[in-house]
Amino acid sequence: MIEIRNLSYKINGNVILEDINLALAEGEFAALIGPNGAGKSTLIKLILGFLPLQTGSIHIDGIPHLEWLKRNSIGYLPQYEEFNRHFPATVRDIVLMGLVGELPLGSRFKTSHRQRAIQALTFTGIAHLAGHQIGSLSGGELQRMFLARALVSDNKYLILDEPEASLDQPGVKSLFALLKDLNKAGKTILTISHDLNILSEYCSFLICLNRKLHCHTSAELVSAEIIHKTFGDTVRLIEKDY
Amino acid sequence: MYAFIYQAIVAAFLSSFSLALFSPLVTLRQVSYMGEALSHIAFAGIALALLLELNLQLTTLIFVIIVALAISWLSQRHKLQESNTITIFLSVSMALGITLISLKKGYSFDLESYLFGNVLMVSQSEIYHLIVLALLNIFFITFFYKELFYLSYNAEMAKFYRVPVGLVNTLFMILLAANIVITLRAAGIILVSAQLILPAVTSFNLVKRLDHSIISSALIAILAASGGFALSWWLDLPTGANIVLLEFVFYLISMLFKPLIKGA
Repeated sequence: MIEIRNLSYKINGNVILEDINLALAEGEFAALIGPNGAGKSTLIKLILGFLPLQTGSIHIDGIPHLEWLKRNSIGYLPQYEEFNRHFPATVRDIVLMGLVGELPLGSRFKTSHRQRAIQALTFTGIAHLAGHQIGSLSGGELQRMFLARALVSDNKYLILDEPEASLDQPGVKSLFALLKDLNKAGKTILTISHDLNILSEYCSFLICLNRKLHCHTSAELVSAEIIHKTFGDTVRLIEKDY
Repeated sequence: MYAFIYQAIVAAFLSSFSLALFSPLVTLRQVSYMGEALSHIAFAGIALALLLELNLQLTTLIFVIIVALAISWLSQRHKLQESNTITIFLSVSMALGITLISLKKGYSFDLESYLFGNVLMVSQSEIYHLIVLALLNIFFITFFYKELFYLSYNAEMAKFYRVPVGLVNTLFMILLAANIVITLRAAGIILVSAQLILPAVTSFNLVKRLDHSIISSALIAILAASGGFALSWWLDLPTGANIVLLEFVFYLISMLFKPLIKGA
């Protein structure tokens, strides 16, 4: 379980997150929604230890999150990852990065690690690209490579920051179907997304954030009222069949 | 006579080899300007050692390591742009070096050999230092290869995946400083940074993997050192400058082969 208590966060005096209390139970497939600047990525970065806590606490499986993260990994798919496209790395090298914490300092990857990397790439559908240079991949292929890295160490938790970025509509559907399979297999998933149609189809738990936590409820309960509360009056809901 | 020449050849080989081993990592981590800055900062260390009549290489080494770690610490702690911090330290160190040397009245300092390098000036004990440095480089890169690979790829993500980024980066900075100080007599303050960049950019035109790039950089540097030494012997030209010029020629040649090898 990921448990957040009384969490607030400021950047240069501006309140980004205010008194967030949230419990994400094991086995959930939760979505974090909110307008740009609502603090979604900040909340995720706090959970993952990229940002230091200012006020409040985060516990994972009952342990302070930084302590937990010293011994365990969370699968993480960033919205954007800065890297040099000419960096001499193959797709397999980057997926193996997800296993580096399991190895002692100075040791080498073994055949079993490489096989796990290929399995993860097979799961995300790009095993045929394992030996390719990362600079030669398209946006969608990169996304699948980073997802394979997030999955390779078989973590309990998976956190994704706008995984639909760089994917077309069929790509988004197949990605969420993949995530649903992982969720059914027992993985707890937290994803930031703007695609409410997809979320209502796949997620079991919805967290509406706009500096404060507006609600957290099951996806079936997404109503116009909640959406307006989270996004403000700038959102116009349109009923549409795909 | 032959022992003297042999010593100079070994010095040219070892200094080029050591710098080339570090070259792909320095280039990929985009800290080549750090190499240039540290070589200039070493000037202040040399001046300090001369003024206080201390061991030249050891004093300079300690001075450069302290400044390298200070730059790294200041950049992280105060969120200063690393390039700005480096520029400040570079200029202040040069100013400090010139002031300290001018304080040493009546001392004739062979500035040119430090600026451009002179393999003929390398002593027997400095050869031993170069041998130890080359072995340390090989050990460090071999042992920490996986960690250095991911640190160079993306330090923030490497830390997230539990690579001990702080430890590996500190060791990297200390060894980078040691490489610059110990090869300074052979490579020169001004030319050392070229030897930290050219072998890597040449190898990246020819190979697709980091380990291959490290090996090919070392081979390119040894070839350039051989050619550079031969040219300087036959034509009575400065060795350090010839090595850099040959490395640049190899870089131009590698540009011609790049489309064939990489299909770019």
